[in-house]
Amino acid sequence: MGYDWDFAVVLRDFDLLLLGLLNTLKVTGLALLFGVPLGLVLALCRLYGNALIRWPVGLVIEFLRTTPPIAQLFWFFFALPILAGVEINPFEAAVLTFSLQSSAFFAEVFRGGIQSIERGQWEAAKAIGMTRNRALRRVILPQAVKRMIPAFLERAIELMKTTTLVGTISYADLLFRANQIAQSTYRALEVFTIAAAIYFVVIFACSLGVRLLETRMARSGESTAR
Amino acid sequence: MDYAWDFSAIVQYRGLLLVGLLNTFKLAAVCLVLGLAFGLPVGLMRYARSPWLNWPATAFVEVFRNTPVLVQIMWFFFAFPIISPFDINAFTAAALGLTLNTVAFSSEIYRAGIQSIAKGQWEAGKALGMTGKQQLTRVILPQALRRMIPAFMNRAIELVKMTSLASVIAYGELMHQAKTISTIAFNPIEMYTVVALIFFALIAPPALAVQRYEKSLERRG
Repeated sequence: MGYDWDFAVVLRDFDLLLLGLLNTLKVTGLALLFGVPLGLVLALCRLYGNALIRWPVGLVIEFLRTTPPIAQLFWFFFALPILAGVEINPFEAAVLTFSLQSSAFFAEVFRGGIQSIERGQWEAAKAIGMTRNRALRRVILPQAVKRMIPAFLERAIELMKTTTLVGTISYADLLFRANQIAQSTYRALEVFTIAAAIYFVVIFACSLGVRLLETRMARSGESTAR
Repeated sequence: MDYAWDFSAIVQYRGLLLVGLLNTFKLAAVCLVLGLAFGLPVGLMRYARSPWLNWPATAFVEVFRNTPVLVQIMWFFFAFPIISPFDINAFTAAALGLTLNTVAFSSEIYRAGIQSIAKGQWEAGKALGMTGKQQLTRVILPQALRRMIPAFMNRAIELVKMTSLASVIAYGELMHQAKTISTIAFNPIEMYTVVALIFFALIAPPALAVQRYEKSLERRG
């Protein structure tokens, strides 16, 4: 392989890549901020709603989980604005798509967590006169949420990986910036390798954190929900 | 919303969509077969005591599990051709990225599946005079594979969803064909709605089937 590697050209634009990373984190963070509470609402609807609520909510969750994120993103960016007569910029479309998409996955995490709590806990709460709402809030959720933390963080990491799609609607995330720099410097090999390395460092650090947390929770005898 | 829906263009260009659907299947099938085939040796290498086998396999798996798939596909499409000894088109780039990604994830399924088999099974095989390889292929894998089926099915489902990413490098799968049609016919609303529904129709039934199967496995214990 007689290829002359030249990272210097690329490193000059390194701050541009970091700006891209910042945008990646921004979209991920906002999607989490909206997606998690929405996920809880969806999970509660699916678990405790009547048939009129349960079925449509279940359908929406399954739809969001089984269609490719890129199809959802394109729908919200290209179709929704015409349909609803509003203007949506790439950033808003990205946040909207990933909030909804991740809420479906978080709903399933919440559901698994709530269902993993033994029935005796419900009965005990009832026995001391708690209403179902109160039992859920004071007894079930605090225990369930604790078990869900690892599954929940894994989902957040998955979300960060999925946000690389925003480049396709021209939102300047890390991957989009890498592509731009590759085109202006003709150094695609170096740029994409560095971009991949940045993603790896960030995501691998998060994964290691989650694994550490999992072993610690396992050691303290706390079972985790999946 | 008084938008007048018009699906006629989609009917008109159904041939393009059909080609896209076939390409989606082609890409998914190739990556699934290769991914599962190479996942086993990689999974076994992570068991090996020798660091010469263990380390490269671990590094490979961690890199592919901890970077976004789209980055992998774009790397193989834009960066890899520069040092590649052979020509890379959109299909090969997508297939390389998705296959290696599937290898990494499926190797973890093999590893977990094999680990889930009680140690006594290895020992029983050994007591019968079987070699390590025989124990693995005759005793452990037949039992482990059955437990891995739901995980593999989920992987396959995830893979079909991921093939849509190949549209970013202009491989003519379903999503890319939809994009093309929506630019020719100016019907993004109808086209992107229909393409989402097609994916839903493709993926939801097997996804539900896997959920059912997992539940029945749990009940049987």
